[in-house]
Amino acid sequence: MQKLKSKCKSFFNTFNFLLVFLTFTFLLLTSKPLLAVSMESSRFRIESANTSSAAGNKSSDNYKLSDTIGQLAAGEFSSTGYVVKAGFQYLHSIIPFRFSISDINIALGTLTPNTSSTATTVLSVYFGGAGQYQVTAIEEGALKTLSGNSVPDTSCDGGAETCSESQAKTWSSSTAYGFGYNMSGNDVPADFISGTQYRPFPDRTAAESPVVIMSSSDVGKNRQSTMTFKANISPIQPAGSYQTIINFVATPSF
Amino acid sequence: MTNKQINFKFLNFKYLFVVFAYLVICLFGYLREANAQQVNLSITPPLLELVIKPGKSIMVAYRVENFGDPVILTAKLVNFEPKDNLGNIRLKDDFTGPVRFSLDNADLQLDQPFFLKTGDSQQLLLRIRLPEGAPAGDYYYTLLAETTPPNTTEGIGSARSRASIGSNILITVTDSGVVEVKPKIVLFSTIGGLAFVRDLRIYDSFDKIPLVFMVENKGKNMIKPEGQISLKGNFGEETKYDIIPKNILSQSQRLIEATPSSQLVTSHQQPVTLILSGFFIGLYRLSTQVTFGENSPTVFASTSFFAFPFKLIAGLVTVIVITILIIKKFSKNSDEDS
Repeated sequence: MQKLKSKCKSFFNTFNFLLVFLTFTFLLLTSKPLLAVSMESSRFRIESANTSSAAGNKSSDNYKLSDTIGQLAAGEFSSTGYVVKAGFQYLHSIIPFRFSISDINIALGTLTPNTSSTATTVLSVYFGGAGQYQVTAIEEGALKTLSGNSVPDTSCDGGAETCSESQAKTWSSSTAYGFGYNMSGNDVPADFISGTQYRPFPDRTAAESPVVIMSSSDVGKNRQSTMTFKANISPIQPAGSYQTIINFVATPSF
Repeated sequence: MTNKQINFKFLNFKYLFVVFAYLVICLFGYLREANAQQVNLSITPPLLELVIKPGKSIMVAYRVENFGDPVILTAKLVNFEPKDNLGNIRLKDDFTGPVRFSLDNADLQLDQPFFLKTGDSQQLLLRIRLPEGAPAGDYYYTLLAETTPPNTTEGIGSARSRASIGSNILITVTDSGVVEVKPKIVLFSTIGGLAFVRDLRIYDSFDKIPLVFMVENKGKNMIKPEGQISLKGNFGEETKYDIIPKNILSQSQRLIEATPSSQLVTSHQQPVTLILSGFFIGLYRLSTQVTFGENSPTVFASTSFFAFPFKLIAGLVTVIVITILIIKKFSKNSDEDS
């Protein structure tokens, strides 16, 4: 009986140790970083829980200041020599200006002659300011190897279907070579009417200007568009690693 | 070795195996699928308007926040100019103008890269300084937070992305505090419909009537329109629409927008100021009165349109004619039968 008791005690000690150890490791592995209080609904968002603690109008003999705590540089500030207006209180906006690209390394894979390679990335914009936002794109040179061999910018299927930097046209022929992009989703140019419509990127090395690929005047959260990159090379294209940089710039209006 | 010792070692091994198996399960359960390299940035404030005297300087605090993967950013300033009359901008490659920018941060400088972790934010203390004798006028800049493109991947074709997010800075330099306000109404007219008489368009009563209102700023300082657009009917009814106060930069035009129905893309494929919808009948007069701040000139414009239910009348006439024809045919048949 004594032996059984001792065995049971030993078993429960080990069991307790295991229980504590496993719980601790589980908590350690699944714990998430501590986040600040987020107060949000579909109609409003309070960036900081202590917003009202010091917000409002302040003044002295030398200045007047109207600010919102939690928004840097918010409010209207006037003093001798300058007047500055900045921030969301002035613009009455609750959605900060935010831009995201889901994948900044667009892998087109091994390029095979007469076989299109495509890859996609998702662009998202949060926009709450007055005026309009825009996202522009430009390539920093053609898709090319270190030795200088380049894939030309696409002109799509050619003939009546010849596309340009500002006009998308059909690109479905396997013998139409080049590099270009298609857009779909929110706030994209109207000429991208289907998934087979493509444009070439403007080229900074050819002194071309960036082109607007997303724009809207509507206040919106998570305006999303999908950009599809496409490359098709000819059988005489030398083998190699073809690379380029696409420059995306998101700006609000004024 | 006794049986007891063997049993104890076996028990220990069993526990160790259970712990190891549990940790492996936890590890695989905790691991998420590998994500692509993502850029997700925000910048506040998105717009800064500054009226400043030469010889003065101010400091403005910006905040750049990283919601994506860890990123290397560079803060830089470029000039911009209006690209069209819709509020779009064109960034310039070069930097011009008398305004001097620098960062007051101890560890940061403009045009020099800095690292930002996931979920982290960086305050940029932007110092804006106007040297003595800086010429009066407007200067427009964009503060950009620009990422560094990822490294190349050998052996495959790839397009690497550089992402930038910008915030516009509108600076008016004036010694006296007086700004030049020179607005001119370029266009105040409805579009579509039929134009039989000059400045009088005719619409069907059920049509949506788009209004285009364009203002040009001929001065050397930016202006901001304030006012209303008024619609008056022939029975004395009146509706007012508020103009959204948006900046019109120096020497440029801008399409004015009014609430609640301004739309930049319409069925007419043309940006408009206001879309009037409802049932209209008779002569209507649209007018506007716009000011540009205290002690500024007020500009006026008006236009008229006529609406009549043409389609409804045409439909009714067609129905009546067909009905009369049918009645006549039936009465003729019954006459022949009798």
